[in-house]
Amino acid sequence: MNICSLIVHTKPTLGPQVSDRLQTFQGVEVHGGSEEDKLIVTVEDKGETVSPVSDTMNALRDVEGVVSTILIYHYGGEESMEEMNREIN
Amino acid sequence: MKLTRREFIKSNAVAAAASVAGVTLPVTKAAAADADDGIRWDKAACRYCGTGCSVLMGVKDGKVVACQGDPDAPVNKGLNCIKGYFLPKILYGEDRLTKPLLRKTNGKYDKNGKFEAVSWDEAFKTMAEKWIAARKAKGPKGIGMFGSGQWTVWEGYAASKLLKAGFRSNSLEPNARHCMASAVGAFMRGFGIDEPMGCYDDLEHADVFVLWGANMAEMHPILWSRLTDTRLTKPGCEVHVLSTYEHRCYELADNGMVFEPQTDLAILNYIANYIIQNKAYNKEFIDKHVNFTKTPTDIGYGLRATDPREKAAKNRNKGKLSKISFEEYAKSVEPYTLEHASKLSKVPKDKLLKLAKVYADPNKKVSSYWTMGFNQHTRGVWVNGLCYNVHLLMGKIAEPGNSPFSLTGQPSACGTAREVGTFTHRLPADLVTKKDAHCKFAEKTWQLPAGTIPRANGKTDGADQTDISGKPMGKTLIHAVAMHRALKDSKMNCFWVMCNNNMQAAANMNDESYPGWRNPDNFIAVSDPYPTVSAQAADLILPTAMWIEKEGAYGNAERRTQFWREQVAAPGESKSDVWQLMEFSKYVKVEDVWPADLIAKKPEYAGKTLYDVLYANGQVDKFPVEQVTDSRGNKYDNHESADFGFYVQKGLFEEYRLFNSVKGIPKKGHEMAPFEAYHKVRGLRWPVIDGKETLWRFREGYDPHVAKGEGVKFYGKPDGKANIITAPYEPAAEPPDKEFDLWLCTGRVLEHWHSGSMTRRVPELYRAVPDAVIYMNPKDAKKRRLRNGALAKISSRRGEIVCKIDTKGRNKPPEGLVFVPWFDAGRLINKLTLDQTDPLSKETDYKKCAVKISRA
Amino acid sequence: MSEAERKNEMNRRRFLGNMLKTACGVGLVGLGLGAYSKRASSMPANYIRPPGALPEEDFLGACIRCGLCVRDCPYDILFLGEVGDEVATGTPYFIARTGPCEMCEDIPCVVACPTNALDHDLKDIEDSRMGLAVVIDQENCIAFHGLRCEVCFNVCPIRNRAISLDMQHNTRSGKHALFIPVVHSDACTGCGLCERACILEEAAIKVFPTHLAKGELGKHYRLGWKEKEKAGEALVTPDTEHRYNLPEGMRYDQQGEGLIIEGEAEKTPFSSNPLDTLNSGFMDK
Repeated sequence: MNICSLIVHTKPTLGPQVSDRLQTFQGVEVHGGSEEDKLIVTVEDKGETVSPVSDTMNALRDVEGVVSTILIYHYGGEESMEEMNREIN
Repeated sequence: MKLTRREFIKSNAVAAAASVAGVTLPVTKAAAADADDGIRWDKAACRYCGTGCSVLMGVKDGKVVACQGDPDAPVNKGLNCIKGYFLPKILYGEDRLTKPLLRKTNGKYDKNGKFEAVSWDEAFKTMAEKWIAARKAKGPKGIGMFGSGQWTVWEGYAASKLLKAGFRSNSLEPNARHCMASAVGAFMRGFGIDEPMGCYDDLEHADVFVLWGANMAEMHPILWSRLTDTRLTKPGCEVHVLSTYEHRCYELADNGMVFEPQTDLAILNYIANYIIQNKAYNKEFIDKHVNFTKTPTDIGYGLRATDPREKAAKNRNKGKLSKISFEEYAKSVEPYTLEHASKLSKVPKDKLLKLAKVYADPNKKVSSYWTMGFNQHTRGVWVNGLCYNVHLLMGKIAEPGNSPFSLTGQPSACGTAREVGTFTHRLPADLVTKKDAHCKFAEKTWQLPAGTIPRANGKTDGADQTDISGKPMGKTLIHAVAMHRALKDSKMNCFWVMCNNNMQAAANMNDESYPGWRNPDNFIAVSDPYPTVSAQAADLILPTAMWIEKEGAYGNAERRTQFWREQVAAPGESKSDVWQLMEFSKYVKVEDVWPADLIAKKPEYAGKTLYDVLYANGQVDKFPVEQVTDSRGNKYDNHESADFGFYVQKGLFEEYRLFNSVKGIPKKGHEMAPFEAYHKVRGLRWPVIDGKETLWRFREGYDPHVAKGEGVKFYGKPDGKANIITAPYEPAAEPPDKEFDLWLCTGRVLEHWHSGSMTRRVPELYRAVPDAVIYMNPKDAKKRRLRNGALAKISSRRGEIVCKIDTKGRNKPPEGLVFVPWFDAGRLINKLTLDQTDPLSKETDYKKCAVKISRA
Repeated sequence: MSEAERKNEMNRRRFLGNMLKTACGVGLVGLGLGAYSKRASSMPANYIRPPGALPEEDFLGACIRCGLCVRDCPYDILFLGEVGDEVATGTPYFIARTGPCEMCEDIPCVVACPTNALDHDLKDIEDSRMGLAVVIDQENCIAFHGLRCEVCFNVCPIRNRAISLDMQHNTRSGKHALFIPVVHSDACTGCGLCERACILEEAAIKVFPTHLAKGELGKHYRLGWKEKEKAGEALVTPDTEHRYNLPEGMRYDQQGEGLIIEGEAEKTPFSSNPLDTLNSGFMDK
């Protein structure tokens, strides 16, 4: 499984629209930054049914209004989904 | 807060990206939502002082995990003091008691044995045996119970019923005897009905505040915050502060006065004299609404009868009022000139004059506040009354902003200790055991044979009441301090202390309390959540479910009754005080405590237990168990109802309402709303009539008991008039002398509640104020070659302890006086204090005795 | 430890390691190298030198790392820097949150110092300046929300001078006051008793070395009212008496409340004649 965070720069003032477009991808969440036109985005693969994270990230680049994407953080681990959904304190 | 690892990693990924991008995120959504997820919030009245702040307690997984001030509560609007901030932690001290503990040797009860865990059944069996034997052998005063102004309303009510009706004993006292009894005495003598006429709204309406022996800044923190706000925002507002030492209220004072202990009597008489000399009094008001009276003087100091000071007193313990004219009253205060008052009190003349002028100014609304400085006073009833005198002379009473206001110390000193009759002389709703008719009304309401309740003088309809022993009852009243003396003298053999820490709290521990409790003839039971000093000195310890571990109700100083639900379960086998009282009553049969002729009047009670007669009486057990649910559908337990099989709190409260809220009651003016109403509101201020609260009493328009056209009516008195009661200055019982050359005054600090049994278990509060210190004037310290922080021995004729000296702290005593707080179980200042009381109210004076201090 | 648990532990460790790497990467970018290199020469902000310590550079020159001050501290609050610490090895310091200076009147640590690194001219502990307390987190200090705490004020040994309470109206509740703690650098010794006593999980009042804690007013600027108070009179010609054109029943107090309308205040905002209300516009109010 993989979890990535990225900064997605958008064309000026298009932050909110781009944010809406990105949300339509599976495994993608926008956490903020639409006012600054710098979106804080996470991409994750949930189980085997979803396309690999790398594909999703490439696809994001082609979304209308996106200027660039920068990968900030990547977590990749092998353990099972149950393990990941276990509660920690 | 619980997160899955996935959420955790994700939130970190987001944070990393956001910090690089320089984007501020709204608080990480997942984490914030999670932190408060699943918390159930419910309201409660704060556990500590008489202010009665409302708090919201957050419970998750059966544990209190959060709290907040209740933003919708009119008293505190979401605020708390530092003790309130830590409320959840008082429930979770590591040394909570969870099992009944009995002193035993070789498996048997032994006064000198070690504490061993026992079952509730064994605990109550042992206790009942002792109680029944003592009751038979020593009469109504052979047993005694010492309760609390921190009891819930129904706990006090159930206790009152158990002792007065069940055990036929008036040996029931609350710790409010050490706290509010003088205030009560003055209310009854002055107005014929207990508790303040005004309310906290006076804090916004007054132009001038006068504090008489009340350190509101620390003891009523949220009220002080309101008073301060009025001082800051209202043009012309003034604050006058009087005390025997400088405390934190002086930080705000426009006129701060430090007076010689006991001379408040003289200062108040001077103010009355000033008003009369300047003809400033409200003639119309006093003609219509006031009687003038005098009280006997030279009444002693409530010490043991053998004390020379008692033998010397001409009118020991006397208090019967006699009528006088206005002119006689004026003459009685005439000696209290400015010069005389200033000389006695050591307060500069200009300050006294400034104070007198604000009272005498008809255009200034004055609210006077007092707490223990007035009440814990060997002339407490007098000094309370002298303050009313000044307000009555001016007619500055019972209207917004003009308010003589007795602040209570405890959360339910009013609602419980005073209102449901937990004093030796009282019955519910201001009824008294002195009056045969009141007792008869209580017997009727409680479905008891006539003559069950012991009259104060042991007589009903002029004939002696018969005791279980076959002998006449005799005089039945016994007050708190006398109880400790009776224990020492083996006249009282059983004592049950609930919801207070009287070994630490009562005066003169060395000579009276400790020898009384450890007297081999006596059996002492203590109900407490923690191993307090009292528990240490007990023979049986009963683990108590505290505060929101039970459904409860408190009544604060402004007559506001507030309810809460059982929000968490108590640890181990702990049970609430009301459970303990009722369960214990199952172990006593009517035949054990009532004489045959009394049972003969109600033969159906023969063979029954006190539980059957008092609680399963068709009235208290009228309401079936129901699922307690709040308006949001949350469900709550109720451990007493589950155990007894009926809605205990509702039954007790509704029976109590038969004393104050139905037609044909002997004393009107205490009306309360039905049980259900209180769970829905942030408290109601009684009298509550037709769902409407009363803010100011005795005044037409505000008080439904005052008819149209009457203007003002003090309806507690038959003629509707209040009493101005003249009383002179008389010296204190134990002024400093050559050897014991300092006054000792004791009291509280903001961070700790009473004896510290709860707040000293909160690490942060303990760290903030770990130990009691001796607040001392630097000059006094220097004279004794002591400096700030040095250890010193403080001793009186009765005992000594060692404390650190503090010459720079929050309290700044004048030369000749020291102040020591009493919260510290490690430094028990009540080894030193004198068991002196006001002879009228029987309230202990903790503010004045003589001590000496030397290097330790 | 079972196999499963060990695996868990491994995973957790690796996971935490990863986290740390990320955090450091981000941290470095954020800080910039300038900030990093500067830090090397200074102590951590919560390390406070004992009373009487000379300015840091002189102190490091004078202190011979003998440890006598540590030995003579009756409250055992002083530590000596160890190898690897971010403080010069062998030099004394204390941490206020866990062990503040108890302000001994006889200042035994200073007396013990053989070299005057702790200045022997310090005779009155109240003159010491170990650091300066700062109410650093006004969002979390509960006094700023109107709660009645004031523990820092109450424990402060320089009562009401080093920390005072500024009383203000609580606009949220409308009827309570705020008791805001304010630290005064002319009296605060930096003993740290307030920081230890702060009841929050992380103290909202903290002691820092003075140079970190204090701002500095532009050298050219003076606060007018303070200068006037110091001089005891106006620095320039005192104002003459003012007179005003005023309608009857009005006064004007130039120094105080401005226009004063004498006579009774209005009981309600409405005229007793309802026509006045009815005929007046309300849209433009």
